[in-house]
Amino acid sequence: MAQAAAAGHATIFEDWGSDVTTFKGVPWGKAMMWIFLLSDTFIFSCFLISYMTVRITAAEPWPNASEVFSLTMFGAPVPLLLIAIMTFDLITSSGTMALAVNYGYRRDKKKAIRFICATAFFGAVFVGMQAFEWTKLISEGVKPWGNEWGAEQFGACFFMITGFHGMHVSAGVIYLLIVAWRLHKGVYDKTNYEIVEIVGLYWHFVDLVWVFIFAFFYLW
Amino acid sequence: MAVAIFLLILVVGSVIFTFVSPWWFTDIASNWGGIDTTVLITFWVCGVVFVAVGLFMAYSTWKFRHREGARADYEPENPRLELGLTIVTAIGVVAMLAPGLLVWDDYVNPPADAQEIEVLSQQWRWSFRFPGEDGVLGTVHVKNIRSDNPFGMNPNDPAGEDDVLVAGNRVQLPVNRPYKVLLRSNDVLHDFFVPEFRAKMDAVPGMITYFWFEPTKEGDYEILCAELCGKGHYTMRGFVDIVGQEDFDAWLAAQPTWAQMKAGVTPKAYSALARRGREVAEANGCFACHSLDGSQVVGPTWQGLWGAETALADGSSITVDESYVLESVRAPAAKLVEGFAPVMIAYDAEIISDDDLAALAAFLREDTELAEASTP
Amino acid sequence: MAQAEIPYQEAMPLHHPHSWVTKYWFSQDHKVIAVQYGITAMAVGLIALLASLLMRTQIGFPGAIEWITPDRYYQAVTMHGMIMVIYLLTAFLLGSFGNYLIPLMLGARDMVFPFVNMISYHVYLLSVVILLASFFVPGGPTGAGWTLYPPQAILTGTPGADWGIITMLLSLAVFIVAFTMGGLNYITTILQARTRGMTLMRMPLSVWGIFAATVLGLLAFPALFVSAVMMILDQVIGTSFFMPAIASSFEPSASEYSGGSPLLFQHLFWFFGHPEVYIVALPAFGVVSDLISVHARKNIFGYRMMVWAIVWIGVLSFVVWAHHMYVAGMHPYFGFFFATTTLIIAVPTAIKVYNWTLTLWRANIRFTVPMLFAIAFVITFVVGGLTGLFLGNVIVDVPLSDTYFVVAHFHMVMGVSPILVIFGGIYHWYPKITGRMLNDTVGKLHFWITAVGTYVIYFPMHYLGFVGVPRRYYHNEPLGESAFYPASAELLNQGISIAAFIVGAAQLLFVYNLFVSYWRGRPAGDNPWEACSLEWRTPQTPPIHGNWSDTLPTVHRWAYDYSVPGEKEDFIPQDVPHRA
Repeated sequence: MAQAAAAGHATIFEDWGSDVTTFKGVPWGKAMMWIFLLSDTFIFSCFLISYMTVRITAAEPWPNASEVFSLTMFGAPVPLLLIAIMTFDLITSSGTMALAVNYGYRRDKKKAIRFICATAFFGAVFVGMQAFEWTKLISEGVKPWGNEWGAEQFGACFFMITGFHGMHVSAGVIYLLIVAWRLHKGVYDKTNYEIVEIVGLYWHFVDLVWVFIFAFFYLW
Repeated sequence: MAVAIFLLILVVGSVIFTFVSPWWFTDIASNWGGIDTTVLITFWVCGVVFVAVGLFMAYSTWKFRHREGARADYEPENPRLELGLTIVTAIGVVAMLAPGLLVWDDYVNPPADAQEIEVLSQQWRWSFRFPGEDGVLGTVHVKNIRSDNPFGMNPNDPAGEDDVLVAGNRVQLPVNRPYKVLLRSNDVLHDFFVPEFRAKMDAVPGMITYFWFEPTKEGDYEILCAELCGKGHYTMRGFVDIVGQEDFDAWLAAQPTWAQMKAGVTPKAYSALARRGREVAEANGCFACHSLDGSQVVGPTWQGLWGAETALADGSSITVDESYVLESVRAPAAKLVEGFAPVMIAYDAEIISDDDLAALAAFLREDTELAEASTP
Repeated sequence: MAQAEIPYQEAMPLHHPHSWVTKYWFSQDHKVIAVQYGITAMAVGLIALLASLLMRTQIGFPGAIEWITPDRYYQAVTMHGMIMVIYLLTAFLLGSFGNYLIPLMLGARDMVFPFVNMISYHVYLLSVVILLASFFVPGGPTGAGWTLYPPQAILTGTPGADWGIITMLLSLAVFIVAFTMGGLNYITTILQARTRGMTLMRMPLSVWGIFAATVLGLLAFPALFVSAVMMILDQVIGTSFFMPAIASSFEPSASEYSGGSPLLFQHLFWFFGHPEVYIVALPAFGVVSDLISVHARKNIFGYRMMVWAIVWIGVLSFVVWAHHMYVAGMHPYFGFFFATTTLIIAVPTAIKVYNWTLTLWRANIRFTVPMLFAIAFVITFVVGGLTGLFLGNVIVDVPLSDTYFVVAHFHMVMGVSPILVIFGGIYHWYPKITGRMLNDTVGKLHFWITAVGTYVIYFPMHYLGFVGVPRRYYHNEPLGESAFYPASAELLNQGISIAAFIVGAAQLLFVYNLFVSYWRGRPAGDNPWEACSLEWRTPQTPPIHGNWSDTLPTVHRWAYDYSVPGEKEDFIPQDVPHRA
């Protein structure tokens, strides 16, 4: 058993170390996207860890998230309603993205383009809702340099991290649309349509990051 | 050949330099002999490795230099040799690390009987606070800091009333008593470092850091700021005078407590313009460097300044009047007072308007005049 | 052996230049981009060199030049450090050596995404322009020290605390974007675009070093990026990430800050900053291994250990960062952990040193200029590495941190050492880049002045640190009878300054050599050093765009088959098959 495991390790190293490619059958673009996402993970990790540190060491009490992020519906405050919708929207976009990748590999260009556009649409809606949320919070008095609920780092972290994520989503929407357009023009017809998977990797990553932001910001 | 000689000279020269040069640790004046010991252990382990590697290279570059017809050996690896070297290195590392960690454990755990004192640092000077008779340091907050409360004492905390406040870069401590030094900063990072004590620690705004030591030798030791804290960093010096217990007691008794300081602040009869001038000075932080009590800190004191004959750095001298005050605010380096560093920033009209500046000059004039009037 | 299909790179489409602009300015050829990186880095490095000479003037001869005020002194300190570490060393070792060597050593046509590679250089150029712009903004460049510690960096008591620091941080953020684009290319090329037979364990150590350093960069620069974003926000719109409540004498408005943590910045900065040391050191390790092996006519000793040492140093470099913060006021118990990890990292590093020296054993050493630089590197690195053990051993760091001991240590280990490798590498590969040799006599003169001079500059500085002379002091005039700056130290500082002037001037020899040899140098031929690795096996010298002929070379052996017994030649290139 142990011997078999050892042999298994040896084979893995041999495969990785063999000539030409380390990851067999992985196109360059896809490998590069994975590496980029690894680097981007560190950026978001640094942001989130900084946020946690700042929150722990803040001199004043941290504002109650469900109070600040509540939406008044029919006269009663409903905590986290908007965020729930935004999260649902983004998870839906991950679903459409997965379908686009699926149709891409089946070489069903039309459906792939359609689902990429749907993904971009959900992304744009997300950014729109975020803009609404920002406007609402700013008008209620949450500023990067202070707020009336407690520690001023609350606003600073919130705007910085969601803003940085929102930029990722916006860039993703543009990226998706460019890919859809070029797909439509037939630029990728000689390839396996792996570009759809590559943009899909980016998109799923952005969604995944949102889950962490959601958990650490709104639920903590 | 030249390379081998170069390496040989380098190794031998470095060893000779170490023993012959006059530059080595200052004589220790605290309990931290353990630090010196660990430095020496590290020094010897590293020194032996340096000499060994250097001589090996010198020999190899001499012995195996290119010759006609010569050929190198072919030896891809030698696992036993590599393993052996790894183990020897690991032993050397442990030999340095283990005693180091033991002393560090001592360094970060002050003894229970250590007296607390506070060192307050700000750009670019040192102040000190003793807990007074109750042995407790009163609470402080940076938001309380004003020119009549430079330590930011909490006015409502009775524990702070008997705290002894020492401004002016110089402090005395009795020999052979352990002290836990609490470090506080008003503005930026500083670092309290006395080479003879070996100990040091950063002062970080927003938190209190500490280290402990026990002075073992009487004498005057210079405090250096060892963390870059702005352009006046190098002027941020002070002194710790280690003295006998009796001298210390006498010195401490002569220092003002917070209660005395509060009681001693008697407002002078300034005009409205001069009062505004004082506010201007407070708002712009002038008192951080210019005292009103005659102590020379970063900049010249303002006590008795008006009308005084002042020597300048270029050798000339000047009488302090309105035009000199105006110039010294707008272009401080133009006529620098002798003995002071050119570290003051220029305040242009956007920061201190001409009107405010006139008020400031009025304050300076009246401060000197009122002081002269009150002394017979 | 049947030739395997290489799906992409054999027929990789190349964007051939059509005009002067696309050939020399917006070129997609990795070799042109490498030279662009190199020239830019060297030019900006000369500015940093000038800054250091200003500093040395002030330290050795205080007040000799009145123009050097405390403001300008601290600005020179800061710009010297930042430019040298980021814009010269990182950019040169990865941008220039990385770009030039990776495709050639691996037998690839180019980087996998030549267009991204081209953009990478131009974004780097933009970051340099922003950096240089900071010399002309109101208040001048920042004088916060290259560590840029807040709160000091953004408060008025520091020169350049408004415009200077903003341009600095902006430039760093742009640099990180450039580095990321380049780095993604390097890693993807190394992992996915090697030629037939080029297994990972046949790669020259230069490529291994660059590979590991690039991975470190992609994972460490994010921390710097994040801290730069947060500090810009603190400075520009008044957030309080790094700013606690303070009472600044010089900036009363700073009292609006509250609750931030200066230590957070230091953790982020050093989470980047320590791997950064290895981002500079690992490519230098790799390159110097190759130089020693080629010019000693002997295989590098313990290749597999060397690879694993690189990998382990890379991994460990992420868990040692707080050894820069022993006396920064963090929780004291961190000291135990970080001292231990730091001293563990000494083991793989020591193995590398042993293997370099053991490569010299029973070798057949040709003392060419690149070899001279390689040997000087090893001894310099030994000094710098050993003094690192002082500073890594937490309690020993207490009296020595923030003194000249630290200055001496990091200049030895990550200033002089990698610079010596860069010089060695340039002397080594210049014939491949231009087709001509650099002048040997000028090169040797340059070497001796640089090697002896830098040792004379930095070795005695350690002892100033023992005395307790703090770093970053505009001048050291003692206030009283204190012993921290004896009169003899003043004399020593003068000597060091004079040595620095001589070494600084000697670099002009190098620049002269680079220029004159380009036209007048002796023609080099394809393989002047008789080296084994693939870059010397291109059909043309200098290599054409696309590097190889229609088929890529096939690799049959490692890059170190020197002096193989029973062979006629004392080197067998990588693409020569084994005898049947």
